Amino acid sequence: MATTAGHAPADQGHAAPEKKQHVNAALMGMLLFIGSEVMLFASLFTAYFFIRYGVANETWPPLKQDGEPFELPVVLTGVNTLILVSSSFTLWWGEKRLAAGDNKGLIRGLWVTILMGATFLLIQLNEYAHLGFTPQDRAFSGAFYTLTGFHGAHVLVGLIVLSLCLRRAYKHDFSHAYHTPLTAGSYYWHFVDIVWVLLFFLVYVI
Amino acid sequence: MATHAPAPAHAPGGGHGGHEIHQDPRPVSYWWTRAILGTVAGVLFSFLLLFLLRALFGFEPLYDGAVYGGVAGLIGAIGFLWGIGCFDFWLGWAKGKDISEEDHSFHGVTNWKQYFRVNTDHKVIGIQYLGMTLFFMLWGGLMALLIRTELAAPGQQIADGQTYNGFLSMHATLMIFVFAVPVFGGIANYVLPIMLGAKDMAFPRLNALSFWFLPVAGFMFLASMFTGMFGAAWTAYPPLASQGTMGQTLFELGVQFAGASSIATAINFLATIVTMRAPGMTIWRMPILAWATGVTSVLAVFATPFIAGSQFLTMFDRIMGTNFFVPDQGGDVIMYQHIFWFYSHPAVYIMLLPGFGIISEIIATFARKPLFGYRAMAFSLVAIAVLGFGVWAHHMFVSGMAPWLRVPMMVTTIIIAVPTGVKMWSWLATLWQGKIHIKTPMLWALGFLFTFLLGGLSGVFLGIVPADIQMSDTYFVTAHLHYVLYGGTVFTVFAGLYYWFPKMTGKMYNERLGQWHFWLTFAGTQLTFFPMHWQGLQGMPRRVADYDPRFETVNSVETIGSYMLGIATIIFFYNIITSWKSGPKAPWNPWRGKTLEWMVSSPPPLFNFDVEPQVVGGPYQYGIPDARHAVVFAPEEFGGELTEDTRYPVLIIANETLTSQTLIDEIRSRDSEGLWSFQLVTPVGDGDRAVSERRLATTLAILAESGVSATGRVAEGDVVAVATEAAKEVAPHELVIATLPLAQSQWMRSDSVDKVRKATGVPVSHVIVPPNDARALLGTAALPLVMVVATEAVGAEALATAVRTRADAQPARFTVIAPLDLPDPRWGAEANELRRSAGEAMTATVNALINSGVAVEGEVMDDAASVALPLAIDAYKPSVIIVAGINGEAAGLREAAEAAAGDTPVESVNLGAAAGA
Repeated sequence: MATTAGHAPADQGHAAPEKKQHVNAALMGMLLFIGSEVMLFASLFTAYFFIRYGVANETWPPLKQDGEPFELPVVLTGVNTLILVSSSFTLWWGEKRLAAGDNKGLIRGLWVTILMGATFLLIQLNEYAHLGFTPQDRAFSGAFYTLTGFHGAHVLVGLIVLSLCLRRAYKHDFSHAYHTPLTAGSYYWHFVDIVWVLLFFLVYVI
Repeated sequence: MATHAPAPAHAPGGGHGGHEIHQDPRPVSYWWTRAILGTVAGVLFSFLLLFLLRALFGFEPLYDGAVYGGVAGLIGAIGFLWGIGCFDFWLGWAKGKDISEEDHSFHGVTNWKQYFRVNTDHKVIGIQYLGMTLFFMLWGGLMALLIRTELAAPGQQIADGQTYNGFLSMHATLMIFVFAVPVFGGIANYVLPIMLGAKDMAFPRLNALSFWFLPVAGFMFLASMFTGMFGAAWTAYPPLASQGTMGQTLFELGVQFAGASSIATAINFLATIVTMRAPGMTIWRMPILAWATGVTSVLAVFATPFIAGSQFLTMFDRIMGTNFFVPDQGGDVIMYQHIFWFYSHPAVYIMLLPGFGIISEIIATFARKPLFGYRAMAFSLVAIAVLGFGVWAHHMFVSGMAPWLRVPMMVTTIIIAVPTGVKMWSWLATLWQGKIHIKTPMLWALGFLFTFLLGGLSGVFLGIVPADIQMSDTYFVTAHLHYVLYGGTVFTVFAGLYYWFPKMTGKMYNERLGQWHFWLTFAGTQLTFFPMHWQGLQGMPRRVADYDPRFETVNSVETIGSYMLGIATIIFFYNIITSWKSGPKAPWNPWRGKTLEWMVSSPPPLFNFDVEPQVVGGPYQYGIPDARHAVVFAPEEFGGELTEDTRYPVLIIANETLTSQTLIDEIRSRDSEGLWSFQLVTPVGDGDRAVSERRLATTLAILAESGVSATGRVAEGDVVAVATEAAKEVAPHELVIATLPLAQSQWMRSDSVDKVRKATGVPVSHVIVPPNDARALLGTAALPLVMVVATEAVGAEALATAVRTRADAQPARFTVIAPLDLPDPRWGAEANELRRSAGEAMTATVNALINSGVAVEGEVMDDAASVALPLAIDAYKPSVIIVAGINGEAAGLREAAEAAAGDTPVESVNLGAAAGA
């Protein structure tokens, strides 16, 4: 069997790796989950661009069923975008405080982040109420509501996750040594923010 | 328990070193009551909520079945999942309860009913997955039979067009979303953590949740039979899917749950593969199944969201009144197809790649050769996955999509044939000059090679734009996809199920029924789907309830083929159910596999390994001396040693066939695995005990010489009694019985092998030794060759006695040489008479000796001792020469012998005058 020995997976005499692989399974799971969420938004953006491409050949901005053009409040949403993006930094600040051993700082950071996120949601809902078109309008409106609606739902989930973290923070469950749930939650929150920045530029601005 | 003690797995109250298990005491009925209440509460709540909201915002009409049904389906399903207990741990965490992450109260099962509740044990979840997916496969198969019955003849048989569409859609949906995609999740769930040397998956509770998504999805599909079946096929293209009944909404919801299940499992597999490998399990030492599962999981994580997106959009069109797919409102139906196929093409690989992994395991094991091109196998999996994301639009060549997209998609499609070809050739090269064992799993693997090859070839046809334009939406496509999915999914799943059935259940399946299942399925597959190629080329469109009468013959043949598949499936279920209930006990490693799952008991102990195994080499080093994949440590109570030093007893039962090359080869081949020690037990019924002792001594000497660790003893009594007692005493891993063929064997005639099998409950291997082999002299260096020189004494009892005495003193081989001093002429009658009588005498002596357990042969030589002996000594090269003479002749013989012997010692025995008779 001398010849077949050559087909065997080569054993390169690696030193046995250490017992613990240096990957945190929970964080890896969260990153993969975010990866799949990215693809979900990618599918919705695909739908949006097909529809946009389809109507852009006729007129731009596209027209509603009543013949008026779709108009989106870019300035107000721009301010809202700033609020959401800043909330990522306040969360980051809270985590920094925790790393320095300051649990109270973490609680403050979380509170500010949650309030900013809630503000963002309220402003979005207010925007929905005053847009002047419904999802049942032409396909473009459906795509708009689907994208922003999915994003809003993700913000809501992010707020719930951060609130749970806040509750654990009050119980002093996190320390600079153990903060996996908090880190996972913050990954998710940053993801939600980044998606919004993309959405704002691709749907509102251009 | 590692590879040590016979360990109870899933067994009531079994001892499990290291983990204290307190099973959750609440009975199964408690969880199901909660689940039903949760479902009802969810439905009622959603009805109430919708009613209030619609009333509040002034929606007309107040009741809209599609909206209510959709929301109630979603919230009801969440209520069910809560009720069955999927969220209890996380809700407890959210409420701030003091919950231990090491809570194992939902781990393992103590009786079969507990398979029906939430469980976090990957082995239980694996079985749950397999049970559930096979259940849905039965339903999907039933739909297929209904389809084939309708198509058996032109015109309407059993279903009108709408119902036929329902059958067709239900068949494809069940088979794809709740059989083909998740079934590998079942196999990998069971096998993968053990293969990697882990105690469980990375996220056991998420694992449970992803399983319970599955019945939700499947039963939503099935429930649509009561609400008007969905009829837009599994592809659910709008605008067809935007119309239709409540069933279509349930389809869209069900797909979301199946997709969520798929993503969650995939994340779990990836985290397990990355973080839970045993020490030493580098990525290049992982079994190919781990590679395949990892690559598939990447596909599932990144592609599945696209089908979620596409179904959200159609659902919004249906229940919210959006206009995604209404062209005069700016909608775009081609967009659906792009999004849908961006998932559904990679999904094809989700349904195939794990099968490729399973086949790689099986072919290497049953060809007893290292897997050819291990790295190429791994890289081609990655290549298929990467390319798989770039070919989706080849399903849309005739859809009216942007024409420039056709050629790039054609090129990428055809390129996929390259990594697939690498795999195909590597499997063939693994088989090449292997020592192929045709057991049921291997049959399925070989059937896969054939069937999948045909499917792959017709896939290349369809990937080429001009050919596809001709063949699109004809039965050629139906033939292609069924060849691919039968080959790549059904055959590989059955291969895997048979391969790991002993490991999962601890019982052996019935080999004969397994082979029947294979051959019926194989024939049925070819009969059903091969004619479809022709039918498609002739222009019969797919997805039609009626057809041109010129296709009648071919359609009825296909219907017969499909019924064969149905019968085969019944055989399969009969086999696994009866074997699980009352099959013979399976050994730990029935296939002599090298991967880690074969180094634990069958079924494995609750936490797989008590001490983390250490991986030291590749997984497929069959036939390579001293190659070792892993070292499994034993727990403290067994001494905590390396298993490398410990061998498990194998009991060998033989008497007449004990000193045969067949049996010795059998023992040697097992010994090369380095796991076993052998106990030879020779039952003596009414025969001579000394005979058996001689045989035993000879065999033990041969085994010792080739380094096999074996002990042996002769036991008085009937073979069944002896075997039963010995089995009780040494608790063997396996029992080997060697007999002569049926006609010559007393044991076989009294059905002893089966009796032993039943009496001991130990896996029994039966070795049949040809009679010539049992009596032939073994050519071995282990035993000294004793040359006995005799003339007058040949045929005399005294000579036989002398040889026996000598054999009892020290195990040896004997050659009896009788030089004949013939009178001239040598061709004369007198000389011939002398030869004949000397030959007879020699035969008598040799037979008598063989029957008394001595390894012996004899030769009569045509010359006086002084001429014959030098020739004989030169030919046989004996280690000692014994001259057996009768009185007067002894001195002469000895003289001749000494003259010829050179350095070889010569002894002499005087048999005395009495022997002359």
